[in-house]
Amino acid sequence: MNATLLECRGLTMKFGGVVALNELDLDIRQGEVLGLLGPNGSGKTTFFNVVTGIYAASAGSIRCEGRDISKLTPQQISRTGITRTFQRSRLCLELSVFDNIAIGDHQNLNNGLWFNLIRRADLEKQIRDTFDRARALAKTFSPTLSERMLQPAGSVTMIDRRRIEICRALISRPKLLLLDEPSAGMTHEETRELMDDIMMVRERIPGLTVVIIEHEMNVIERITDRCVVLNYGRRLCEGTYREIASNADVQEAYLGQS
Amino acid sequence: MTMTKNNGANLLATVTGIALMTVFSIFALHAENETSLLILLAVGAAGVFVAYKSGFVARAGQGLQAHRHVGDLCIVSAFAAMVLVFRNDHFALLQLATVLLYCVVCIGLNLQIGYCGVMNFAGAAFFGVGAYTAAVLSTHTQLPHLLVLLAGGFAAALIGSVLLLPVLRTRGHYAALVTIAFGTLFRSFLEVNDTLGGPQGLKVPGMQILGWELSEGITVFGMSFSFYVNYVILAFVLLAGVFILTRRIKRSWLGLSLDAVRIDETAASTFGIHIVRWKITAFIIGNLFAGIAGAFFAMMTSFVAPANFTFGDSLILLSIIVLGGIGNLWGILPAAAIVLLLPEKLQAIQEYRFLLYAGAVILILLFRPQGMFPRRLRTLIPGLGTLK
Amino acid sequence: MDIGFIGQHIWNGVMLGVIYAMVAVGFTLFFGVLDVIKFSHGDVLTLGAFVGLATYLGLQRLDVMSPFAQLIAVLALSIVSMAFLGALIARYLVLPLRNAPPFITLLITLMVGTVIRESIRLFYPNGSNPQAFPKLLPTESWHLGSFTLRVDTLILVVVGVAVILLVHMLVNHTRLGLAIRAVAQDSETARVMGINFRWVVLATFGLGSGLAAIAGLMNGLYYSEVYFGNGTMLAVIGFSAAVIGGLGNIYGAILGGFLFAAIQIATVVVLPLPSAYKDVVAFCVVIVLLAFKPTGLIGEKSSERV
Repeated sequence: MNATLLECRGLTMKFGGVVALNELDLDIRQGEVLGLLGPNGSGKTTFFNVVTGIYAASAGSIRCEGRDISKLTPQQISRTGITRTFQRSRLCLELSVFDNIAIGDHQNLNNGLWFNLIRRADLEKQIRDTFDRARALAKTFSPTLSERMLQPAGSVTMIDRRRIEICRALISRPKLLLLDEPSAGMTHEETRELMDDIMMVRERIPGLTVVIIEHEMNVIERITDRCVVLNYGRRLCEGTYREIASNADVQEAYLGQS
Repeated sequence: MTMTKNNGANLLATVTGIALMTVFSIFALHAENETSLLILLAVGAAGVFVAYKSGFVARAGQGLQAHRHVGDLCIVSAFAAMVLVFRNDHFALLQLATVLLYCVVCIGLNLQIGYCGVMNFAGAAFFGVGAYTAAVLSTHTQLPHLLVLLAGGFAAALIGSVLLLPVLRTRGHYAALVTIAFGTLFRSFLEVNDTLGGPQGLKVPGMQILGWELSEGITVFGMSFSFYVNYVILAFVLLAGVFILTRRIKRSWLGLSLDAVRIDETAASTFGIHIVRWKITAFIIGNLFAGIAGAFFAMMTSFVAPANFTFGDSLILLSIIVLGGIGNLWGILPAAAIVLLLPEKLQAIQEYRFLLYAGAVILILLFRPQGMFPRRLRTLIPGLGTLK
Repeated sequence: MDIGFIGQHIWNGVMLGVIYAMVAVGFTLFFGVLDVIKFSHGDVLTLGAFVGLATYLGLQRLDVMSPFAQLIAVLALSIVSMAFLGALIARYLVLPLRNAPPFITLLITLMVGTVIRESIRLFYPNGSNPQAFPKLLPTESWHLGSFTLRVDTLILVVVGVAVILLVHMLVNHTRLGLAIRAVAQDSETARVMGINFRWVVLATFGLGSGLAAIAGLMNGLYYSEVYFGNGTMLAVIGFSAAVIGGLGNIYGAILGGFLFAAIQIATVVVLPLPSAYKDVVAFCVVIVLLAFKPTGLIGEKSSERV
């Protein structure tokens, strides 16, 4: 039985009168690939936003490896090794592909004034090193992308932009990667490729845990170890894909919503 | 590998370009009456148009990138040539120095607004803070003038921090409000304050650095130079230093973080970038530049008065960076020259200058928001990625 | 302390508060609908006053002497022309730039304000000097002990409060108001629901600018003069007032307007500094307030979703 990486208890998120998360209890186990499912509005992205500190939970707790992270800022949370992609792509389109990926490694780069302004030779070394790592990472997803490292991110295809977001989340070798509908807008073929690439990278980063919000069920079936279905901000059911797919409550939640 | 012939052609373009611009500037500054200036401007505009269309500008840009040292040498020589030509013309030299100092402030503004996205509508007020600090310190203390310059910078940085820190956790328009209010109230505050000279202002002694008395003319090789040459040279050194520093910021992780803060705060925080820290850093550095430039200006003109630091002046500074291209350092010098010198030469538009500049900025923002020189993609290290 | 003396100051504060509140409501409307700070608001106010002045002078030329007719004409022309100008500014300068970074919109509206201000200064005869503003309202004063009440200020305050109440009613109890609130909350959904975004924006800007015209006329009638530079300070004050109350919130704007006036009056009465400091002090209080309650006393509208 794997250790628990993230433990949420009674997690509640209210926006005025709207209850987006309703006393959610959720465990994420070390090293697993967890599918987070549920109809639109069930609180999946809100869950990501609360975990990454963008929203402060109205009630409840989140513990990461035993440590309470529910009151931390997004910056502090990223230092605990949690990274993410966004449902609505949030890239800096006017910056280069490399710039965007390098932002993901901000924690590990030297941002001191003295280093950046005076010790230029050392800075150059760090830049080259980061460039090589970013390019290698981009190459696993798309060789063409790796050749466009210094072009503006706005000039590459939508698919490549999603890949850039994923590279940005991976370059810091995180513990927990939260993917928010990474395959939106892709064909089946592209989705399959993307998932294979993510799995390949996962092997290279030992212990990486992935939580993926998705609507493509074949993807979920293929790559996830376990699934959790949310509905109205609560956990509806959990289990392997097979188990939850044949669950009557789940079917009603997706299809039979009144 | 790029062909040597191309390389040579690029280099030639760069050198020729800088030489032509220098010659043009010298003629423009020399122009005695308005007709000759207008003719010159027309010729210049035509020349620029031809240069763009024929690819000359692109070549020159490449040459500048590839041969940085030659480019730097050309610029320094161009500057030296101008100093030589105008060596006895007090007024032209004063104008030149003023343009250089305003460029320093604008580089600071570009850092704050163009890189980090922190709004600053009080550029002239922070310039004024530096100026008044220099006035007070150099009249009432024996502080060496180099330190007075620094003190002007620190005063501007300090006041800026006090203004901005309370509102940094909020959205951008609060920073705008605070700086607009400061920019508007600064002059009124000075005018009611008799200890700071009131509306008449204060006198400031000339600069003296390590025995070099800048308010005295010098004679070299039998040629006499107006004392303003001292200030022009020093202003050039200051501008060069500030330019190089800012360019280093841009080409480093600092510049990347600043851009990330400007473009998308939420995403930036998710990756560990501390929004408040970067905004305040950019603001402080930018104000340091403005304050030092202001202190310099005070000692050069021997005088400070509230009328020099109005909200209208802050708006002129903003016009300069919009015209030159927000986020582009090179565009600042030509833009400053145009905005500051044109009304001096064309007396007819002197009275209308605020109206004209405001109108020009509106047109630029609507139709060519990137300005004369759009900001280019960051090249952290020239040639990065082409080694393999 | 002399009651009359305090009363005078309080009444002064009420008068100023009404004017500030009107300007602040304009700012808050623009921000609510388009997330935009329209800094030309103050100068539109001044222009409204000048249009009023020009109308009056024109009427004099035409020998129209009835004060009633004069008042109506001045009001009508001023409000309509400024509403129209506001809509024009929205249509050609603000709407096209709504996807640009907010700095750009702020800058362009600042520049528009400058254009208006400088145009008045340069093109109105003797524009760089303050112009006498006609006394279109009854000029008697009532004396209650040491308290002198100018009748025209009474009228102005009543009218001002009435206008603010009207705006409040409009925003909360009419279809246009509903559309404005819908767009302010969530413009995308509002459009999907069939609300004509563009018209709502133009109407809002027109409304706000009409308000500015009224405020400008009130300002002119109160001080009996207008000056091309009035607008900048009023814009800063109006903006601050809207911010203290919470941008996007009409009640906040009204509260902010009166609060700012109160701080100014308190400064003049309580502190020994010359009255020129009142703006500086009031402003510092605003900054301190913002430090503690960054989203304003009542709270600004909800921010973006992730």
